[in-house]
Amino acid sequence: MLRQDINELLTRTGPGTAMGELFRQYWMPACLAEELPEDGCPPIRLKLLSERLVAFRDSYGNYGLIDEFCAHRGASLWFGRNEDGGLRCPYHGWKYDTTGQCVEVPSEADNSSFAENVKLTSYPLVKIGDVLWTYMGDPATQPPLPEFEFALTPPEHHYTSKRWQQSNWLQAFEGGIDSSHVTFLHSGGLRSDPLFKGAKGNQYNLNDTKPFFEVADSDGGLFVGARRNAEEGSYYWRITPWVMPSFTMVPPRGDHPIHGHFWIPIDDENCWAYSFDYHPMRPLTEAERQAMVDGHGVHSKNIPGTYRPEANMDNDYLMNREKQRTGEWYSGVEGIAIQDSSLQESMGPIVDRTKERLVPADSGIIKARQKLYRAATALRDKGVTPPGVDPAHHHVRSAAVVLPQKEAFLAAARDDVRVRPGFPISSV
Amino acid sequence: MPKVVYVGGSGQEHAVDGAVGESVMATAVKNGVPGIIGECGGNASCATCHVWVRAEFAELVGEPDDLEQDLLEMAVSEPRDSSRLSCQIPLSPELDGLTVDVPPQQP
Repeated sequence: MLRQDINELLTRTGPGTAMGELFRQYWMPACLAEELPEDGCPPIRLKLLSERLVAFRDSYGNYGLIDEFCAHRGASLWFGRNEDGGLRCPYHGWKYDTTGQCVEVPSEADNSSFAENVKLTSYPLVKIGDVLWTYMGDPATQPPLPEFEFALTPPEHHYTSKRWQQSNWLQAFEGGIDSSHVTFLHSGGLRSDPLFKGAKGNQYNLNDTKPFFEVADSDGGLFVGARRNAEEGSYYWRITPWVMPSFTMVPPRGDHPIHGHFWIPIDDENCWAYSFDYHPMRPLTEAERQAMVDGHGVHSKNIPGTYRPEANMDNDYLMNREKQRTGEWYSGVEGIAIQDSSLQESMGPIVDRTKERLVPADSGIIKARQKLYRAATALRDKGVTPPGVDPAHHHVRSAAVVLPQKEAFLAAARDDVRVRPGFPISSV
Repeated sequence: MPKVVYVGGSGQEHAVDGAVGESVMATAVKNGVPGIIGECGGNASCATCHVWVRAEFAELVGEPDDLEQDLLEMAVSEPRDSSRLSCQIPLSPELDGLTVDVPPQQP
């Protein structure tokens, strides 16, 4: 269980909250680059950390993320006209550039300086890989840009998707460091999903349903090691890195692309699940990319034109009891992503952790909560910069390795869990 | 056989003989001491065996490790300096007479 006051602290991310301030120390995904496909394209509405914002790409190609509402009378700038170098409110014609600076108030006299004194809240918006990243904290402490490997590989090596999840960010994120559910919930996928199947490691996964967990600190967060029996004298280790606040990578399978997630709070009861796949050594194949677009692997099949999954809480995630009975889909829900979201959303918008019962397999979750709590309170009380802000902390990889039984996992896999350009992922 | 005394919220005492090497949690559960649950089986995961160790035994019992400390800070309803998870206290001959207070509520 978790004390109610700590559950509150970890789950609330609006302005002025301890966890909200923690998130505001990091660069994080604001949206996908595909949402602003060209110069001068329509703006999009975004809510991040409970702040309502508008993102746009001006006619010169500058990206901006600004307060959603016009400073004049509060109309939504989503209705705005993306004109020459700025976004113009269609109500009375006030115009803003990508920094939120008002550049024109048409009703004022030509020599008026009124507009100069009007500026909307704005945050930087930077394209790296398929993602537009933002930093919503104090400009004085803005860290260098993120250096996650998935975003820095050539475009043909990676694919990124996102989906709306109707739950608090923490229960979504906790699924990402909980490797023990894979043997149950995703057992069907290990056998059949085109982006998972065929790896030798899958057999270790399916043969040993009682993994032993070991958790080790990293500079930016944790490495969660799940140990299963392999051949005589050796263990199969699946190592999941977590970089604070909410970046995780799934341990790889065979030569399949490697994948992971970012969970970003929209508000306290909704989050974005960003899912990426990449291969450091080669372009994704046509078949792999198509499978990702079709919602296989960690990706989802979304309602066209939206980022809401087709299988969602309003249609019981298209539950199929027959597939549940045969075990083809262990829970009766199709696809890894929706298998996760269906259960995480079923807990309620913010799960009441005073009622949970944790077991040793949850040690990654226990440790991660503790690190978040310590980091959020140290930032609040003493201004301590949290782990994961330094881009050097981003240089991690997940790994799936067979190690001698007597070896400590992190000591033996030290090179396997860091980014080594030109070296393949360590995977069986 | 080291003896352990468990004191409940209203002052009722359960004095139990334990075995060397067995934990304070397991000793309680085997003898039906109320208020100590030990749901995770002694793995410092669930925090349902929380006790307050009487001051005179604090030094002998020692300090919690990192994971136990996390749970004491975040999972128990009334953490105190004397808090321990009783599954992480193995009995030894020196601990004969160990007295712990059982909180009114376990997680």
